[in-house]
Amino acid sequence: MIRFIDATKVYSNGVVGLKNLTVRIEKGEFVFVIGASGSGKSTFLKLIMHEEVPTEGEVYVNGYSVHDMPRHEIPYLRRSLGVVFQDFRLLPNRTAYDNVAFAMQIVEALPREIRRQVPLALGLVGLSKKAKAYPNQLSGGEQQRIVLARALVNNPAVLIADEPTGNLDPKTSWEIMNLLEEINQRGTTVIVATHEKSIVDAMKKRVIVLDRGELKHDEQKGLYINEN
Amino acid sequence: MKIRTVRLLVKEGTFNVYKNKLMSFASLATVIATLFILGLVLLIVVNVTTNIDNMKKDLEVVAFLDRDASILEKEEVGLYIEENRKAGIVLSYRLETADEFFESLKTDLRNNEKLLDDLSPELFPDCYYIKLNHPDYSDDFIAKLKLYEGIDADWISYPKDELEKLSGTLSVINYVTIFILIVLIVVSILLISNTIRLTVFARRKEIEIMKYVGALDWFIRLPFIVEGMIIGLAGSLVSFFFTSQTYSWIRSGLDTLFASAGVPNLKMIEFNPVALRVLVIYVIFGMTMGIIGSFMSVRKHLNV
Repeated sequence: MIRFIDATKVYSNGVVGLKNLTVRIEKGEFVFVIGASGSGKSTFLKLIMHEEVPTEGEVYVNGYSVHDMPRHEIPYLRRSLGVVFQDFRLLPNRTAYDNVAFAMQIVEALPREIRRQVPLALGLVGLSKKAKAYPNQLSGGEQQRIVLARALVNNPAVLIADEPTGNLDPKTSWEIMNLLEEINQRGTTVIVATHEKSIVDAMKKRVIVLDRGELKHDEQKGLYINEN
Repeated sequence: MKIRTVRLLVKEGTFNVYKNKLMSFASLATVIATLFILGLVLLIVVNVTTNIDNMKKDLEVVAFLDRDASILEKEEVGLYIEENRKAGIVLSYRLETADEFFESLKTDLRNNEKLLDDLSPELFPDCYYIKLNHPDYSDDFIAKLKLYEGIDADWISYPKDELEKLSGTLSVINYVTIFILIVLIVVSILLISNTIRLTVFARRKEIEIMKYVGALDWFIRLPFIVEGMIIGLAGSLVSFFFTSQTYSWIRSGLDTLFASAGVPNLKMIEFNPVALRVLVIYVIFGMTMGIIGSFMSVRKHLNV
């Protein structure tokens, strides 16, 4: 499903984002990617999303060759991914319902599909009753749930979450993580970049540890390893 | 591209024009000014070209027959001109005999008959007035005409050179005009581009989200292109109205001026027969400027 083969990313300013990374993530896995700031977590996710391309090596995501991809194929790769950001990135002038529907309009879904899928996605994240609320009327946790609903509404094969609990209190963080686990149990591959030791240790999922762009550990049912 | 998606994006683009009303108005004003100047310059060029072409059509080769030439030699000249008429080089011609000329001279000098005392028709040559189908035929036609014995080669006149000087001046004016127009078009495109850049900037987060969710490039571009097209189209229509009114006003003024100055042959063309062409040019130019401006603004933000 996702394969990094000897992938290296060096930015134009000379900073090494990833160095000779070889890793494989199978369909339906739940993976934590951990590491200190500058360890390469974000670069790892950016390569999956084709926000960046590797300077050397190969990256395959859902059958697409990210390292060698024509520009017109990028949207189709991204449609197979759902993305959750730490800073939510919701549209402030649209309701919760419209924010989720927006993701379906973009992929030109039929109006009847939008009417059916959006309430389902909002129901899945437990926010059916807040469909008409605007982002500034929602708490941080609720906003992140809307983002999750938006990421899931097009049924992506892979869900990528970059520090999804970074702006949330511990209780809400757990609610979000439980949701991610639920989503994973429905068959979606989930990749979470995080700093939350307690969550990683408690969930006992696969842990990929990056340090200065290199793979330090890759363990099934792993714990948060402090690379320092 | 699905029709309902296009409808949605067109609606969004239209709304953006209204949302950015101040900058939209600035762009609109520039488009109007650019097209207005473009239109007037084009109409001036068309008018001058048409009048020069009309003058060229009225030009006559005036060729005098040699008084000492034999009847046969004179007939050969007539045959040459007639052959050229059949070949489509000569449009029409007429022969004015010395007698006819003398009669017209008598009419002209009826108040000074004394001047005619020592004159008789034998002193004057017969003369051909020849209209050509195109001024370009003149050099070859006159060169061959001069070879005939029956022609007085020193007295062939054709005032083509004066008109060619005028055409030369016109082409210089054309180049200057094209340069000014290019500058104006570039300014218009930059202004439209800046207007749309404001919308793009206001919606950069939305664009970013669209890219992450997998929106195709055209899905992101279309509302902005629609915005540019609307500004261009509206500008072209308003400008067309201004141009037609201004041209009619100038035309009536100049026609009166030409008539009173004793040059009734100079006439400005009517606007209605060329109105559709002017409108089409305006719409094409206006919308193209809008589209180019939009593309320039949105390109940077597509590279997410």
